[in-house]
Amino acid sequence: MSNPSKSTVLFDALGPRGRRRVLIYSLLSLVVILAILALAGLQLDSKGFFESSRWVDALDALVIENTYIPGLLNTLKAAGLASVFALLLGALVGFGRISPIKFVRFIAGVYVQFFRAIPVLLLIWVPYTVSNTTGTSIDGFWFVVAGLSIYNGAVLAEILRSGINALPSGQAAAGQAIGLRHGQVLRLIVFPQAFRNMLPAVLAQLVVLLKDTALGYIVTYPELLKMSQQTASYYTNSFLQVLLVAAIVYFVIAYVLSKLVSFIEVRMRRKVPKTAAAVTAPVALTEA
Amino acid sequence: MPNPELVFKMFASGFWNTLWLSVASFAVALVLGAILAMMQVSPAPPAKWAAQAYTAFFRNTPLLVILILFGFGLPKLQLQLDPWQWALIGLGMYTSAFVGETLRSGINSISLGQAEAARSIGLTFGQSLRHVILPQAFRTVIPPLGTLYTALVKNTALTLVLGFQELAAKTELMINQDMASVWIVVGGIIACYLIINLPTSWFISRAEKRAAFAR
Repeated sequence: MSNPSKSTVLFDALGPRGRRRVLIYSLLSLVVILAILALAGLQLDSKGFFESSRWVDALDALVIENTYIPGLLNTLKAAGLASVFALLLGALVGFGRISPIKFVRFIAGVYVQFFRAIPVLLLIWVPYTVSNTTGTSIDGFWFVVAGLSIYNGAVLAEILRSGINALPSGQAAAGQAIGLRHGQVLRLIVFPQAFRNMLPAVLAQLVVLLKDTALGYIVTYPELLKMSQQTASYYTNSFLQVLLVAAIVYFVIAYVLSKLVSFIEVRMRRKVPKTAAAVTAPVALTEA
Repeated sequence: MPNPELVFKMFASGFWNTLWLSVASFAVALVLGAILAMMQVSPAPPAKWAAQAYTAFFRNTPLLVILILFGFGLPKLQLQLDPWQWALIGLGMYTSAFVGETLRSGINSISLGQAEAARSIGLTFGQSLRHVILPQAFRTVIPPLGTLYTALVKNTALTLVLGFQELAAKTELMINQDMASVWIVVGGIIACYLIINLPTSWFISRAEKRAAFAR
């Protein structure tokens, strides 16, 4: 990436003197960063952060078996089910937003605006409390799944709509011109093309959904965060260490998934010109 | 017992706390994000790597985990701060990773030709930044920054786990102590979030239209 012989927005291709200057600044910044890290490390060490006894508890086989793994499984369970519901809801509401019937458009619009405006936390927590006060005991799992599905359904609907709107209007017009009905135009012409454009955004949103399952903590659903927090409160000496392990587990999973999403995005972008060029070229000619 | 005056006071203080926390942590996020973006576009690889590591960590870890790590974990190292301070630091650092990415892509969205043209007519680094690159980058990043702010306003709700008394914490209190019917509380809370976020969304769509026109 940092090829010095290539010019970027901010810097021209560097000559020998510039390269030397960049080298000096690189070393300088390396020293500054290492100094900051060393300082933080020393501070942590003086507070006993690296003491082995604290880490032994946090990485104990029993703790891994009884905290991180079941917690992670619960997290994945909630995320998986919520993803399915959110995709279904998103498709329903998203197609509702572009429906030819005005009333359906209105309802779908209200749904999207409303549920995108309030924090997911309240979508999960308020029904949970209300059901608690009325005395019906439903598992926290369902509140997590329901809240995340409703919220992400609204977000995915918006992604679907913008993906469809991003297509040149000539596509739908051509479909109507050859006599297809609204549903047929969507199914046969618009959706297959829009799907390709919006797939990365949809997958990225599902990664966000996975991260948001941590909100299960609030309704005492035993997902990774809640389980770790309970274990951490038990091993008070390694409280921070246990939570840090949980944070790293979240990080690794979300990081790998989002790398995967950007890989897919790059691949799709690389493929599009070959197939789409033939389709878009005539459109561009007539519209120019 | 429903007590309208008390309920109103709860809403007012929750609203105020959510508003100032969101504005203050957005300010923190803008400053940190600007530094991160500068590190990302700098030609010095170590600065870039450090910024990338920071961004990757804060973008891929749930905000709630970060808040709990800060607010409950760090005090175990004798690092005592008030809930609002942890809330400010946690939200600010989390959002700064997203702000940094937005600013970086704003700078990179400018076509190479613009920058090369600026340099070929003899503008210095500072001049081309000031007269050519930043004015264009600024326009492109305003709408996504607005979106980040609306997300931040909603994210302030999570600080209730730290005991910070913002809107969601007030909701919890009002429902648990049965101060008013659930529907009134929920309706009021939604109205409060809308009061903050609707003007922002309006501003975003206006800025988007203007940016589109100027291009």
